[in-house]
Amino acid sequence: MWEACTDLACGNLFAWLNQGPLTLTIFLHTVIVIPMFFIYFQEKKRLEQGE
Amino acid sequence: MSKKSASVWTSIPFWRRSAAWVTGTATVLLIWLTFDTMGQIAMGSDADLEKGIKHRIPAASVINYHIDYVMDEKRGHEVPVIGEKEPFFGKEWSNQEAADLLHLGKLASQAKNCMNCHTLLGNGAYYAPDLTKAWLDTKWNDGTMTGITGKETKEEAMAEFLMHPSRYPTHARMMPNLGITKKEAVALVAFLKHMSSIDTNGFPRNFSQSAKRLEGGTHAH
Repeated sequence: MWEACTDLACGNLFAWLNQGPLTLTIFLHTVIVIPMFFIYFQEKKRLEQGE
Repeated sequence: MSKKSASVWTSIPFWRRSAAWVTGTATVLLIWLTFDTMGQIAMGSDADLEKGIKHRIPAASVINYHIDYVMDEKRGHEVPVIGEKEPFFGKEWSNQEAADLLHLGKLASQAKNCMNCHTLLGNGAYYAPDLTKAWLDTKWNDGTMTGITGKETKEEAMAEFLMHPSRYPTHARMMPNLGITKKEAVALVAFLKHMSSIDTNGFPRNFSQSAKRLEGGTHAH
């Protein structure tokens, strides 16, 4: 999965994301899902405090 | 302050914020990707060709250069290599002339609906051979097609074949005569030569091996 970039444009984020079938998926899950945990706990705290 | 028992999953603000986050992130990434792609697919300049600066899509004047297709071990596939200058239809074309020729070639390829049978850069059909790297097909280099058509050079042989395909049945599925004029044939050959110089990250896969394996017929057997 993690191999050296062989694309023509290797300084490019999208070239790295396109290196294997899972890289883009993992990246998108990371940038989208992890902040959603933060949103979840923030909302939970807000609700618990009855704001 | 005492904690209330509350479910986040039924909280409307939670879903609203999540939806805004997912949509917003995806939008930013897609806009970024769009501009990045525009940069990637921009044609190089004539000066870049002279200096040997690589672009995924070289300038139109690349038709004045020899194009080779060599295996790149690091990248794991074949890549087009732009070599020394070579005359195209016996002359060197200025960047403007080459650009005009490619434009005519593109229009001709659309007018004659090449994609109805062939594939160009991944678009089209697989009834007839993939044309993405057609210029690099060894049959045009090893004397087979120049011999059959009685022409001196590869480009002249290609143009002759395009004008009178039914005279030179090279595959089990014969290309029909499309009434391509000499001017259109020259432009189409330029279009094919330029397309072969595009770095397509190895598409179509294993072109050289496939061309050898499918010798004498593509998918017709």
